[in-house]
Amino acid sequence: MVEERKDHLWKVAQEAEDRIDDLMKAGSNPVGLDVGTSKVVAARRKGKEIDTGSQLNAFIPVPYSRFTETILGQNEISYYRENGELIIYGTATEKFANMFNANVRRPMADGLINPREKFAMPVLEAILQTLVPKARAQGEVLAFSVPAAADGKDAQLTYHEATLRRYFESLGYKAVAINEGLAVIFSELEDNNFTGIGISCGGGMCNVTLAYLSIPSMMFSIAKGGDFIDDSVASVTGEQATRVKVIKEDGLDLSKTAKDKYEKALRIYYEDLIETLVEKLQHSISQADKLPRSDRPLPIVISGGTAKPRGFKEMFEKALSARMLPVEISAVRMAADPLTATARGSLIAALYEK
Amino acid sequence: MARETPGRTRTRSPERPRKRASSEGEEFLHELETVSRGVRDPVAKLRFIRSSLARHEAADRMVQKVRFTPVRKVMYHWLSLEGLRHVLGGSRRDEAAPVTIATRVSLAFGRAAVIGLGLMVGVGVGVAVYRRTRPPAAPLMAAPRQVGAPAVTAPAAGAVPPPVSLAPAGVAPAAIWLVEKGPQYELYSNGLRIDTGLAVKGTPRAYRVFDEDGRLDPHVQTAPVGLLFHTSESDVWPLEAAYNENLRGSSQGLLRYVQHNRLYHYVIDRFGRVYRIVSEDSKANHAGNSVWAYDGKVYLNLNHAFLGVSFETRWEGGKALPITQAQFAAGRNLADSLRQRYSIAPEMCVTHGLTSVNPTKRLIGHHMDWARGFPFEAFGLPDQYRRKAPSVAIFGFDYDDDFLKVLDEPWPGVRVAEAELAAEARRQHRDVEDLRYEKQTAYDRWIEKQEDPEAPAGRSTASTSRPEGLQ
Repeated sequence: MVEERKDHLWKVAQEAEDRIDDLMKAGSNPVGLDVGTSKVVAARRKGKEIDTGSQLNAFIPVPYSRFTETILGQNEISYYRENGELIIYGTATEKFANMFNANVRRPMADGLINPREKFAMPVLEAILQTLVPKARAQGEVLAFSVPAAADGKDAQLTYHEATLRRYFESLGYKAVAINEGLAVIFSELEDNNFTGIGISCGGGMCNVTLAYLSIPSMMFSIAKGGDFIDDSVASVTGEQATRVKVIKEDGLDLSKTAKDKYEKALRIYYEDLIETLVEKLQHSISQADKLPRSDRPLPIVISGGTAKPRGFKEMFEKALSARMLPVEISAVRMAADPLTATARGSLIAALYEK
Repeated sequence: MARETPGRTRTRSPERPRKRASSEGEEFLHELETVSRGVRDPVAKLRFIRSSLARHEAADRMVQKVRFTPVRKVMYHWLSLEGLRHVLGGSRRDEAAPVTIATRVSLAFGRAAVIGLGLMVGVGVGVAVYRRTRPPAAPLMAAPRQVGAPAVTAPAAGAVPPPVSLAPAGVAPAAIWLVEKGPQYELYSNGLRIDTGLAVKGTPRAYRVFDEDGRLDPHVQTAPVGLLFHTSESDVWPLEAAYNENLRGSSQGLLRYVQHNRLYHYVIDRFGRVYRIVSEDSKANHAGNSVWAYDGKVYLNLNHAFLGVSFETRWEGGKALPITQAQFAAGRNLADSLRQRYSIAPEMCVTHGLTSVNPTKRLIGHHMDWARGFPFEAFGLPDQYRRKAPSVAIFGFDYDDDFLKVLDEPWPGVRVAEAELAAEARRQHRDVEDLRYEKQTAYDRWIEKQEDPEAPAGRSTASTSRPEGLQ
């Protein structure tokens, strides 16, 4: 079959999807990748700036029909055909989930490749493919984030890391795994010589790392994140989790009084998440073998989509002040861009490894 | 970077009081932190901190032998600065290094002290040695000898300059060879510089060739035998400084698109930069349905057999030379280089518009880029517009009103082929259209055979008439 695509040449569009394409394909710089349960974010250096692109790490299968496939093709929605189904993946998934009033499915759960999802790897690879093309030069560095092992999940983390590493290496990259919390420190605590506590609150879990001069002293994760909040609120309100997510992301303000049952429930589960996080932080620091030999108080920086609602930081500070931590905290602050901090930090790790 | 929030949260465990940094190890870390605070770039800072920590043990053993605390602190500071200098990659880059002014000053002082000390020792040793072994007087410089370099004759004063020519001037290299290769470029002896940073692999090249009688050569070819010149048909901005960003943005968009779809082996942008997009050992999707013939061989669908070279421009009916001077120079150098490397005959360097066909409608000129106006002569190539059009002569393809709306008149090679068709029809006492139809159906059979990997060699079909030869 002869391919003849030239007629489309002048249709080079400067749209969002193209921006991702541009980001991923324009330069030969190292790549930083935040492989999160909810989103995959890629960062690449473009001149003096850092450019980022993201895809929702989710998919939804719909029954195959020629009509549906045509519609998907016309709307440039990412999909592939698998037996009798069309697997819609990436950012468009959410739109379809809302349209069909169904929950999206995720290739990852609790920060790791979802062992209960048969489409996990094919979909994850398809999503990664939209952000990371083959390496131009063999051995180009790609740093991807991995969570800290949750209790009893060491083996699963090993599998997750090795699977991703193998995939990126098959694309020609030198793949380097970086702890998610450390990536946040790299991204946000440069002024503190990479000393402090980095917290990433993502869709599947929250990751915490304490580092001194870029060397991690303590790291842990809790298996609670945005999905936990969405599912919990959905279960008590009878609403679809996908819909709860929309409500949550549609300007939720935790500093204000809740105005309906959804916001009330969201507030309760946010408090629960933060309480669990701070409790574990206190416990982990107390149990840490080697703490920083520093006289100065440590800053805490929070990132991740789950930490985005207004009032999250204040809620966290309140929970923190109620407990006595074994280290002095200088300040709690939000990352400059909570959604891309991990990817940016991963990029710094990639550039360091270059 | 995020800003520090005004409110400070302080929590402290009463059971773990901390002492002020006082031990030798903490002195080192304190100095390390002081120096690293002056580094502005996060990656440089990370490198500095990590490398300093790695060297810490060895340095620490040495410095701890010093008993006097202030001296020890100075030594730690100096060691940190030296570590920073090492990370930043040498003294010549300090001016542009991502460090604060204070750190830069510290680096300069540190270096000045070392250089001063080194100079004092060096001068002392040098003077002593010189006094002992003073050499005899000798000329300071010798004029370099010209060894076999061909002289370039300057034009006589007042001579009439030659007419503007696109032929290359100056000394041309005897052959074109790869002078230098970097991670992102290749430089050739004729001045051709190829940006290889975007190059991607495609389907490996593999094709078979017909002879004039329609026999398919069983041998699979893997080397390119021709060049096909294209225009990108992308947005073209005025070549003016005011449009610089548009020009750059447009090129970047084009390159991404071409790479994504593996459209051409080479793209030459408006500034004459040559980009390799699809590697030369792979096919690119540049030619589509197309026909060319030379030296008794017939090539169908040229994606595999021909290398695609695209100029970033719009053809616009070929009403004016649509490429820039820089594109021309780069295109000529590229063509020369590829022709030499693959021994490509000049007759096999042709444009997309001259080869493109619509097999469904049996028409030539499906794509028309460079169907007129390609500067073959300036590229040192024969005028392919005058060469008998193979798609018409062998396969009886025609053209329609849409074709004539663009070109007014088909290129001369079409007329030559049409005249030959008419003569053949007269000889056979047949209607020209009847003859055309017969040849057109032969095209389908040839294509079918080409696409069939099991196709045996030999005569292509049991057709009633054999396609006519070209020359």
